[in-house]
Amino acid sequence: MIQRLYVHNYRCLENFELNLKDLQSALLIGKNGTGKSTISFVLQLFQSIARGINSVKELGNDPLYLLRPKDFYRGRFEEPMRFEIEVLLNNQVYVYVLAFDLPKNFKKLRVIEERLTVSDKPVYNRKEALVTLTRKSTGSNNQEPQFSVDWHLIALPVIQEQSEQDPLHIFRSWLANMIIMSPIPSIIKGVSSEETFEIIRDGSNFADWFTGLLKIYPAAYTTIDNYLREIFPDLLDIQNKTIGENAKSMVIQFEANKVNLKLDFDDLSDGEKCFFLCALVLAANKCYGPIFCFWDEPDNYLSLPEVGHFIMALRRSFRENGQILVTSHNEESIRKFPNENILVLDRKSHLEPTLIRLLSDIPFEGSVADALIRGEIEL
Amino acid sequence: MSNLYKPHLLVLPEDEANEQLANGIKLSLNINNRTLIIDKPVKGWMKVVKKYTEQVVAEMRKYPSRIVVLLIDFDCDAKKGDTPEKRFFQVFNEIPDDLKSRTFVLGTLDEPEDLKTKLSMSLENIGETLAEDCPDKPNPLWNDDMLKHNTPELERLLETVKHFLFSK
Repeated sequence: MIQRLYVHNYRCLENFELNLKDLQSALLIGKNGTGKSTISFVLQLFQSIARGINSVKELGNDPLYLLRPKDFYRGRFEEPMRFEIEVLLNNQVYVYVLAFDLPKNFKKLRVIEERLTVSDKPVYNRKEALVTLTRKSTGSNNQEPQFSVDWHLIALPVIQEQSEQDPLHIFRSWLANMIIMSPIPSIIKGVSSEETFEIIRDGSNFADWFTGLLKIYPAAYTTIDNYLREIFPDLLDIQNKTIGENAKSMVIQFEANKVNLKLDFDDLSDGEKCFFLCALVLAANKCYGPIFCFWDEPDNYLSLPEVGHFIMALRRSFRENGQILVTSHNEESIRKFPNENILVLDRKSHLEPTLIRLLSDIPFEGSVADALIRGEIEL
Repeated sequence: MSNLYKPHLLVLPEDEANEQLANGIKLSLNINNRTLIIDKPVKGWMKVVKKYTEQVVAEMRKYPSRIVVLLIDFDCDAKKGDTPEKRFFQVFNEIPDDLKSRTFVLGTLDEPEDLKTKLSMSLENIGETLAEDCPDKPNPLWNDDMLKHNTPELERLLETVKHFLFSK
């Protein structure tokens, strides 16, 4: 569970702190351009690193351009760009800190600080190029091992883990398995060529995720089926047919009044594909959770009567296990969160950084939705 | 594709505080999520009654499996002779005879915010707690001074919804 996310000098986020402690589910609201997506980019930066991308150049070349020199807040290169994430896993607090600078004549960002601690005990510490591991050396001198890393490479993905109990493994796996989604249903296809737990932001490897999840956790099918059958009472089954070497294709079978219909997954509507995504999120959290999920506007593509049920299904799944953070501009979604779980983002102008506060700490008249529509909720 | 012909419970909350109570009930894993629909709050118990009589009554006749809860505040002014019983019957008497078996009137004495302060719990948590162990053994919180007046109506409701609303 993320307890705290701190970002400084990155895009619109300056000395910015997102406090999610004790919030199993939370909603980010705010006008366009206030930084909701930027928060997801920060989370994706951590996720990409944990998934093995360790070069600053590669992170800059990511389709979302996660990390570039122009990302310093208003070109303020003289201050470091800093990212910190504090996570509670197995009753231990993991803190990962990563800071960059951009010295004069440098074209790429340079790592100036990086460290991982678990319950205040350092796992490794890095100053510029020098990384110090706090585990004991296997040599006779009993010194902490040290090694150098290129300034433009992040150390987290390259440090050797010793076992599955190694805090490095636990933290990296958790970060890598985070679900960060802003799905584009039209590009979500039913053909898989791989097996993965690492869903991509736009959902385009959904079928790979489905195949990977069911291979390792066949019981996930029950969760998926139970959820979907409530929405589609005519759902008969989901088949994942082999269509070639390492290739499978999802076929959805419906039945009503003894009439059978088979549909390729690709032929489902955008909204229907979102129900399948939701089903996999619920199954993933149950099977290999607790996971963290960020879903940018999950109500997109859904019909109005479905929005409330959809949001509540997600909140219920993460009620006792894992954590979900969503964004929304949809009144029906907003009404499904109490004010204590709604975080409001605001910016006075493009020249000023993002501000954040809990809705329950903001005075306003009348209903939340009405106040939002009138643009009256400001920080 | 409509599930409205299947048994479901529609809650008409008086205000956002009551809506949060209802959200808490929907959040409970003891509840079948999709069988509970929470309408927009309308700001005031008289508006709940107005919406019910002008809109929901016709819908209930269209959807015979629809059960309705009017979730209102029993915030009665004793100086004016208002009592919770009087408020209850003011509302209950507006319910057509043919729909009385499918319509229920529940709510807190005073306002849910008072219960929130008294219990030091969020409204959502209160709602979730109230849904625990229903229908067989309603949570002791229902016996709180601000809620216990609901007992007869709660028993009538649970008897009506127990076959579809609960997951256990």
